Amino acid sequence: MMVKIDMPYILDFYPLQTEEFTQIHSFFENLKEGKFTTTKCKKCGEILWQPRIVCPHCSGNEMDWIDLPQEGKLFAFTEVFYGVPLGLEQDAPFSIGIVELDGLPMSVLARIDDAHFEDLEVGQEMKLKIINLEDGRVWFRWEPKK
Amino acid sequence: MAYIIEIKYASPNDRGKGGIEVNKVAIVGGGLAKFGVRKATYKELAQEAGKAVFDDIPNLDRKDVDSLFLGTAGSDRFAFQCYPAPVVAEQVGVQPSNIIMRTELACASGQAAMRAAYGSIVAGITDIALVMGVEKMNTPSMAEAQTTMAAVMDREWDGVNGMSAPPFFAMIMQRHMYEYGTTREQIAMVSVKNHDNSSTNPLGHFQKTFTLDQVMDSVMIASPIRLLDCSGITDGAGGIVMTSAERAKEFTDTPVYIEGMGQCNMGSLVTNLPNLTTWEPLKVAFRNALKMAGKEIKDLSFAEVHDCFTISEIIIYEDGGMCEKGEGGKYIEDGSPYIGGKLPINTHGGLLGTGHPLGATSIAQVVEVIEQFRGEVPKERYVGGDCALTHNLSGNANVHSVLVLGRGG
Repeated sequence: MMVKIDMPYILDFYPLQTEEFTQIHSFFENLKEGKFTTTKCKKCGEILWQPRIVCPHCSGNEMDWIDLPQEGKLFAFTEVFYGVPLGLEQDAPFSIGIVELDGLPMSVLARIDDAHFEDLEVGQEMKLKIINLEDGRVWFRWEPKK
Repeated sequence: MAYIIEIKYASPNDRGKGGIEVNKVAIVGGGLAKFGVRKATYKELAQEAGKAVFDDIPNLDRKDVDSLFLGTAGSDRFAFQCYPAPVVAEQVGVQPSNIIMRTELACASGQAAMRAAYGSIVAGITDIALVMGVEKMNTPSMAEAQTTMAAVMDREWDGVNGMSAPPFFAMIMQRHMYEYGTTREQIAMVSVKNHDNSSTNPLGHFQKTFTLDQVMDSVMIASPIRLLDCSGITDGAGGIVMTSAERAKEFTDTPVYIEGMGQCNMGSLVTNLPNLTTWEPLKVAFRNALKMAGKEIKDLSFAEVHDCFTISEIIIYEDGGMCEKGEGGKYIEDGSPYIGGKLPINTHGGLLGTGHPLGATSIAQVVEVIEQFRGEVPKERYVGGDCALTHNLSGNANVHSVLVLGRGG
């Protein structure tokens, strides 16, 4: 299914997500179903982020899709006021953070909803929030765990 | 934070029989266009820089330039000019017959051009190289410029989250203060120092000095980074001429030799970097450049390093080996990186003071080294000496590029 992207494609930051454009379309399909996933190399067992089609460690090209924890602890954060790219300007100010996933040696960077810089601290518990974009695509953010 | 592939800490001089012979390549002169928010196009900046170069080297006939290496990070987007190398060649009046190329390495694009020229000269392909950096960043749409900058990150997985340079370095600053107790005042001192230094640099973007309070009270860009923690969005251009050591004497009595170089990349996605506050690729690049030159930090007369944000310079003190890890704040508080201090850092004003026209930034650093060695800088920032280091980081600090420059002999 083609999505309708309002911006000129070369100024749009969100990945193209459907099967006709990417081989990791499962990530986006899973996300739409509430599952946060990535690829694990069948050959060497490495868990890869972002999802990959070829393992950068062993060149294995067969992957399993595994579920990632949707909770973790805040490692680093900022709140952006200026210098925001086109397409995201109307959202400023917004926070961004790196979250260390619970139970996996892996971190995921995303926007943080519902929190200013002053509200955040290292080690704070965060949970994943799935965002459905108006154009039919999907993305993810963090939010503080209540 | 993430996986790191085992790094072989080899410098060029560890490899093969005798490695790379130093002092084979010399810089014979260079010059800059005025940096700033310029009422000038990309091509006009190139013309001004070309004139500055050829005016600086009167013995050089532009017909003898056989190669052009152009460092430009974002002409495709900032100036909507793809394939800029022949455009610049025509603007400055050279007709390269051996090598013409554009190098893109974001904030280190200019140094990438120097590296390519070095290799070409050592290989005997290039005789006389014009190495330029040109960047036009200020356009009627600042949002478009910011869009281009955000796409320097992995566009789909980092940039999409609003990640660009200020929020990336803001997270580093937040973590450095958290991990090491570095204070807001110590970090702001970098901005005060570098603006002081650029106040005597008429070709720099800013000639105004600021107090600590002005830095710490300036507008918030990405917490905890404020406006005066950031280098400028700057238009600028510059060039140098590189040739073999044998030919250098035809053009100048004061050649600057490339004694060492080191470069290292680790990772791309922010969360795949080895560490936010310890820059492992910087350590490798510094180590390899100094080893190739047979020098140590204590041998340097001064260094021009990549203070794209105040916190960057603090980490460069630490991971560059100027002080212990975590002591960067104390290092500037103690006066070490000031002119007259233990090792003056960013005598020309750095990126904070002179601006950061991506591709031209590395060139401006090297032009400062040329002018320091020649004694052509104002006495307020004169250091002189015979050995200097220039450093660029690029993107999300995942590539570090270092040159060690000397007067030879």
